[in-house]
Amino acid sequence: MRLKQIKIVNFGQFSNKTFDLPSDKINVFFGANEAGKSTTVAFIKQIMFGFHLRSNFSPFFEDYTPLAHVSPMGGSLVFATDDGEYELERLYAKGDKTKKGILTVKKDGQVVPENLFFDQIQNIGGAFYADSFIFNQEMLGQVSSLSQTDLLERIYYLGAADSSKLLELRDSFAKEAGKLFKKTGKKPEVNRLLKEMADKRDELTQTKNEFNDYEQLWQEFEQESTALKKQMQDLAVLQKQAQELQNLQKEMGNYQTLLDLQKQVKDVAFDSQNYQKAQDLMAQGRNLQKTIQKLEDQLQDLGESEQTDFAAEKKLIQQKPQLLQWQAEYRNCLQKVDQLEQEQKQLLALTPELQSLYNLTSEQLKQLQADYQALPSADTESQQAAATDNKIWYIIGGVLAVLGVIFLATFGTIGVIALITGLIFLAAGYVKNSNQTKQNAAILEKRKLIAQERRAFQTKYGLDSDTLNLNSVLTNLNQYQLKENAAQVNNEQINTINQDVAQLASNVQNALKQPVENDFSAVLVGLDELDNQVSQKQEMAQRRANLTTTVKQDQQDLKESGLQLKAIFAQANVKNMAEYDQLYQDFLAQTKLKTQIAALKASLGDDLERLKTQTNAAELTDQLSGLARRISNKTAEINDLQSQVAQLQVQLDNLADSTAVFKAKQDLANTETDFAQASEEYLANLLAAKWISRSLDLASNERFPKMLKAAKEYLTLLTGGRYVEIELAKKLTVVRSDGKKREVKYLSRGTAEQLYFALKLAFVEQIKDEINLPILIDDSFVNFDDQRIGYIDQLLQKISENNQVLIFTAQHSLVDKLGIKPLTFTKGTQDA
Amino acid sequence: MKFIHFADAHLDSPFRGLSFLPSKEFNHIYQAADQSLTKIVDLALSEKVDLVLVAGDTFDSSQPSPRAQLFFAEQIKRLTDAKIQVVMIFGNHDHMKQEDLLVSPSPYFKLLGSNEIVEKATFTTANGYNYDVVGFSYLNNHITEDKIPEFPKKGQNYTFGLMHAQEKTTAASQNVYAPFTVKELQDLNYDYFALGHIHARNNLSTASWIVYPGNIQGRHINELGAKGCYLGEIDENSGKTTISFKETGPILWQAAKLELEAEINKADLQAKIIVVLAAKQKTYFSLTISGAQYLTAEERDLVQDADFWQTISQSLQFDSQLVDVRFVVNTSLKLNANDQQAFQTAKDELFTEKEFSKLVSDWQKKDPEAAKLAADPAFIAAVKNLTEVKLMSKLKGIKDETETN
Repeated sequence: MRLKQIKIVNFGQFSNKTFDLPSDKINVFFGANEAGKSTTVAFIKQIMFGFHLRSNFSPFFEDYTPLAHVSPMGGSLVFATDDGEYELERLYAKGDKTKKGILTVKKDGQVVPENLFFDQIQNIGGAFYADSFIFNQEMLGQVSSLSQTDLLERIYYLGAADSSKLLELRDSFAKEAGKLFKKTGKKPEVNRLLKEMADKRDELTQTKNEFNDYEQLWQEFEQESTALKKQMQDLAVLQKQAQELQNLQKEMGNYQTLLDLQKQVKDVAFDSQNYQKAQDLMAQGRNLQKTIQKLEDQLQDLGESEQTDFAAEKKLIQQKPQLLQWQAEYRNCLQKVDQLEQEQKQLLALTPELQSLYNLTSEQLKQLQADYQALPSADTESQQAAATDNKIWYIIGGVLAVLGVIFLATFGTIGVIALITGLIFLAAGYVKNSNQTKQNAAILEKRKLIAQERRAFQTKYGLDSDTLNLNSVLTNLNQYQLKENAAQVNNEQINTINQDVAQLASNVQNALKQPVENDFSAVLVGLDELDNQVSQKQEMAQRRANLTTTVKQDQQDLKESGLQLKAIFAQANVKNMAEYDQLYQDFLAQTKLKTQIAALKASLGDDLERLKTQTNAAELTDQLSGLARRISNKTAEINDLQSQVAQLQVQLDNLADSTAVFKAKQDLANTETDFAQASEEYLANLLAAKWISRSLDLASNERFPKMLKAAKEYLTLLTGGRYVEIELAKKLTVVRSDGKKREVKYLSRGTAEQLYFALKLAFVEQIKDEINLPILIDDSFVNFDDQRIGYIDQLLQKISENNQVLIFTAQHSLVDKLGIKPLTFTKGTQDA
Repeated sequence: MKFIHFADAHLDSPFRGLSFLPSKEFNHIYQAADQSLTKIVDLALSEKVDLVLVAGDTFDSSQPSPRAQLFFAEQIKRLTDAKIQVVMIFGNHDHMKQEDLLVSPSPYFKLLGSNEIVEKATFTTANGYNYDVVGFSYLNNHITEDKIPEFPKKGQNYTFGLMHAQEKTTAASQNVYAPFTVKELQDLNYDYFALGHIHARNNLSTASWIVYPGNIQGRHINELGAKGCYLGEIDENSGKTTISFKETGPILWQAAKLELEAEINKADLQAKIIVVLAAKQKTYFSLTISGAQYLTAEERDLVQDADFWQTISQSLQFDSQLVDVRFVVNTSLKLNANDQQAFQTAKDELFTEKEFSKLVSDWQKKDPEAAKLAADPAFIAAVKNLTEVKLMSKLKGIKDETETN
């Protein structure tokens, strides 16, 4: 796109000023300062992109208000393009709503929509144009702040859709990345974590020394423990020594006692056996004396014997069996009396007739017998009597026989007699019985006759003949008289016995010399008494004899023991028992002494020898107090050691339980995790930004790299090969041909401006396919020397092949150098 | 004969990526490796194993804390008291001197191959079964030479190899952990090669066993899945070995994925996340949300906020925790063809290793940790992914704006 005509209606100091541009390549505008060169540059830019009426900052030539007085202001530009001629007219009149001015676009004289023109320049804005196509002193001064971003944005603008948003996005990523990490910095999170990580690592390294600490502590612990043990042993030795000394001190007293006791020791000849013997003998003697005395007293008590011959008394006493015999006989006699009386009475009872007959003489009885014989017998009575008699015979016979059998067993002869007698009776009974039966019949026949006779008989004798059995009565009478005679004999015997007893009683009384009744019991008592007296007297005599013998024996024994005692005394060299006792006491005392000495020696034991040499108590006390000091020192040392050992133990335990290493590691791991996360975040942001950049590069056909390449060429050209490389990152750096890097701020003004030109022109060159607008260079080579001007000339010649270049200058030399006829700003046409 | 093989206990090693967790949670973390080791010892005792192989990196550093040392010594004592043979080597992390180890001397404890010298030790089980263990310990953090030629030929006995090492790779910089090839090991024909160093469980060979048991407790989001030890049983007649993995790590690291197919409100999003994070034991979850473009910027900020993770964690079983959220964008944006092409081309250019290293050059010079991250493919991937997410979400905004305009 070539600018053909600049037509100013009113703008700045210009009114109705028109420039026709002769060249499609380089056009030169020459004018002195304040001639309107910059105003013209501003005019070109503002006609295309709108008046800049705001008072905010603009990098160049727009910070004044040229519109105050004239209206309408503005003008037009005519561009030649491949498809025709565009005229852009922009006017601003007072009262217009927009202060940008009203733009009218005509193509080949026809008004067309403005985008028909702007589409051809990719709808860039004024800032883009100014930044990219306009060069002036002020902008050249900003070379050091040129950044990739600025250049890129322009380039990408021509590439991807939404490139500005993508760039924004890229910037926000880059900004985020920058917030997270800076190559040099402390505050960004990653940097902070780096520091933290280093710190934590140091901590861990320190903590890891735990094990060394532990080993060291353990060694110390072992050493201290050993030392402690050693000290304890030393202490024990000292304590033992002290104990020994204390014992010695205590034993000093005992030792003194021992010495005293030993002084008291003397020899005592003492035979304890003999002494015992002597004591026994003494006791024996005393006992014997006592016994003798007692015996003599007893003898005294017994007195003299009155009688020694007891023959008479013994003779009497020997009659006791006789007396008892008499007594038995006497009793028998008395019994017999009773028996005989009883039998007589029975006989009388059985045969009352005996009363009548008793007093009859034997002639009278013969008469009676005859009388009675004459009498007829009464059957019944005889029968009855016979019957009765028969039965008695049987009974007696039976009884005797039985008794006989019994007695046979016990008494022999008597039994035989009784048995025979019984059998006789039984036989007699039998005989009687058989007679009886014959008699009875006769009697019955005579009964009546007889009765008479009988009555007479009764009268005469007073006997009932009916009932009378004369034979029987006579028998009985005979019996009775026998009894009578027996009683007579018996009584005579009694009298004899009585006389004998009386005689004996009299004898006994004489012997006893005390009255004795004339009866059996009294005599018996008397006899017994006498016997007793005799026995007692005999015993006494015996005792006396015995006592006398004993006394004699004891006296002999006494004498002997006395002799033995004397022998023992002599042996023991004592006079008597008292001395002997004293000797014994001495002996006991010595024995006790020896025991004490032995006990003391035993308790002193091994110390005895030491005590014999160690006699100074004060020295001992000194030694003891010395030891006590050492013990107390040792104890203090031990206490110190113990507390050290305990401390070490605690430290060891703490270390053994310590989770510090784990904690430190975990802390570090946590920090590392945080670091990894923050780094991930940082790198992702960084990568995202780069990704977007790269994508934009690609989308914009890699214009930027190409531009950079061109810029390098240009710079090399402009600096005559002194600078060969441009590094465009956040800061702009150039590399000299010798490889040294220079930041822009350290470059000379001229070189810096050369760099600026190189970059901007490279950019313009790069975007020429998309945007091809005139390059406006407003008085920009003031700092260039001739050589540099030569170089820039070459470059501009090259650039102008593609882009129209408008050079505004006040330098004659430049105009001369360029060899182009300049357009001039003439006075008069300016602000009227 | 029974044995246990474990490696990489890394006692006292921290968990990564959990700085936001409440301090009480750190007690769990702190105890996790200890608990895992205790469980392994429990297992050894209950199974009455004859041998426990410790294949290096028991401690996280060559200067382990006294606490870790004493804890380990205590656990080893439990084994040696039970007359269980323990054979241990040092790895690249715990490249220490034998005398620095606090384990009490015992005929049942053997530190194998000190001073990086390959050593063969022969043992006999209580039943009279003889076996050899061959291996070496690190004294320095790197061993660049291939140690396999130093290993002796297999003898009559059943033979264990015990080694802390990494398979040879093409990147020379990585061949610093006694690099070996599987073929070399197979050629040795040992019955069981007990390896350590790689934290992921892996059997390199099953014919003659070459086994990485993995570490005993996952410590970050790249150590996913069940962690523990191998329990092996040898048929003493045939010499055949069978092994089974025993999980002992108390905290499981697990990845979960939520796919979004449409825009979603916050409440539904939260509910969906909780459903996806179903735990069977105490688990630390890394959640990947694909279709992240459906989330609003606000939602994305929310979901990536640690406070939100804590809120979610309160609804999880077994005291599990959501500890990581990643986004995946699963559609590309419709820019105009030219721009689309430009962005794709730019991506292809910039996402290369070379360009990435240019990108990080300033940053990675700052700190070894940064340099490490710069070389970490996972980190690089994460950066790229995040870049994409960031850019795509923003471009979507531009597009939307453009469309509304």
